[in-house]
Amino acid sequence: MSQDSNDGLFARLGRIDRRWIFLAMALAIIAPILMRLRFEEEPQRMAQATFDTIEALPAGSKVLMSLDYDPSSEGELQPMANALIHHCASRGHKIVFMTLWPFGTPLLDKTVKRILLEYHPQLKYGTDYVTLGYKPGLEGVVKLMSSDIPKQFTTDKQGTPIGEVPLLAGVKDLSGFQLVVSVSAGYPGAKEWVQFGNGPTPDAFAVIGGTTAVQAAQLLPYFPKQMEGMLLGIKGAAEYELLVQKAYMPERFPERLEDGRIRMGSQVFAHMLMIALIVLGNIVMAAGRARGGAK
Amino acid sequence: MSNADANAPRPPQQGSRRGSYRLLFISIAALFTSVAVMQMASAAQDPALDPAVAAEKWSNLWTTVGIWVAALLTLGIFSFLYKDNPVYKVCESIFVGASAAYYMVNAFWTSLVPKLIAPIAPAFTKANLLPELTLPASDQAYYSDLALAVVPLILGIMLLFRLLPKGGWISVWPLAFVIGTTAGIRLLAAIETDVLAQVSSAGSSVIVYNETTDAAGVVTRTIDWAGVGKGVLSVICVLTVLTYFFFSVEHKGAVGKTARVGIWFLMITFGASFGLTVMGRITLLSQRFEFLLKDWLGFG
Repeated sequence: MSQDSNDGLFARLGRIDRRWIFLAMALAIIAPILMRLRFEEEPQRMAQATFDTIEALPAGSKVLMSLDYDPSSEGELQPMANALIHHCASRGHKIVFMTLWPFGTPLLDKTVKRILLEYHPQLKYGTDYVTLGYKPGLEGVVKLMSSDIPKQFTTDKQGTPIGEVPLLAGVKDLSGFQLVVSVSAGYPGAKEWVQFGNGPTPDAFAVIGGTTAVQAAQLLPYFPKQMEGMLLGIKGAAEYELLVQKAYMPERFPERLEDGRIRMGSQVFAHMLMIALIVLGNIVMAAGRARGGAK
Repeated sequence: MSNADANAPRPPQQGSRRGSYRLLFISIAALFTSVAVMQMASAAQDPALDPAVAAEKWSNLWTTVGIWVAALLTLGIFSFLYKDNPVYKVCESIFVGASAAYYMVNAFWTSLVPKLIAPIAPAFTKANLLPELTLPASDQAYYSDLALAVVPLILGIMLLFRLLPKGGWISVWPLAFVIGTTAGIRLLAAIETDVLAQVSSAGSSVIVYNETTDAAGVVTRTIDWAGVGKGVLSVICVLTVLTYFFFSVEHKGAVGKTARVGIWFLMITFGASFGLTVMGRITLLSQRFEFLLKDWLGFG
């Protein structure tokens, strides 16, 4: 290949239409989905701590699970929510569901129906699990729950007075729970559960936070002292899914606990493409500078 | 470009082409949706079908319609990657409008009804809006709830004064109340969990021990040098970054060099955050593709 043709290639690459890059990225993400690629994940410290925290609780412990996200973060947070619910139910814990996000209610209902009732049809509403639904008030909801839950939730989502729900008998405040799990996409979410829920009673219950990768930096300082377990983004979800699957493989629809690992396949391909593009872009720029032409 | 140019009518060819694209998209969407609906409807109306199965098929019909609408809206949003176009604008407007409507209806039923209308008119609310509402046990309880509802009502009305041409200053008072109470509530929690607890953690992480228990049950403690290294590094990070943000002293000499190290740590942090953001965005994109490929087109 002559020098001229090389120059021409680099110059053309420098002027490439960005839509070709969009197309390449789409293919990099679609290919692993179509090929059903699942990479083996090595559980890291935070995923392992999350698993161990739930395992360490005696069967029948009360778990408050707050799904604080909406459809815009569903892709990242739903896999970890699925695995957390299946894990808690498999260990025999009693789960109380709620959300601090208005758009979280339909997702909460869908998750209970799709995961809890499909994997654990023997569980009874009111004694094994309860849905409190959504309450407006941001961190104020958490703050009031830390001192008086019946004042914050007078009824459950079905309209049953809270005093008549067997699962919540004797639960006056958050210290009535052994574990609080917040799967959150931002404000209000896991940070507020640490700040306002765990603040007055730091040792009364454990806290696990499942977070989007974007807000990871805000929550990392809380692990492991203020937050006993943490799942960061899709990577944390994939690692935790694997731990849960190894211990409690569901008999039906096991693929519903593989979303995190499937999405990690797309992550690998997309990152490889990005690295290749960064290297290529630098080569093109260096070649342009060597020619003294392109900036 | 002069004003005359800007106000000049658009070339007819460009306008008609845009109209054709719009018409084409709407026609394709309508065609696919009608075919799906007709297929499901004819299947559900099959006389040989068990009534329970037919009912399930009818409920599936709405799921199918929902999937088609969601898929077409997703493709409409993706079309922006090719270039800005009217279909994208329509999908964007639908998204914004539907979100705003949901928020408004949700706020009405979860905030205004139980927290404002119910305390003011409990009997009316129970009869017409919220059958599961528990009526106040006594007049005293009613007046207590009423007082708690009237204050925010007045503050809320004061906020609306912002929309009037005169009297906007009245809205400053409720705003001051909101900002003041929020700051008061958050400050204490932030000091407890983000300052004191973090300082304590940073200090205790400098000396880390490994504990081993032998067969006789004797516990031996040895220094975990890797843990000590991490702890010392994190303390250095904190101190150097704090030095960078300490502007009361000029960044020269030892202070300047320390602040420069702090900048490096900041850059590493920003890089890691950006990497995590990229990971999050790719996940969201892959979930959309999964929806299109699996739920819509039926692959996998």
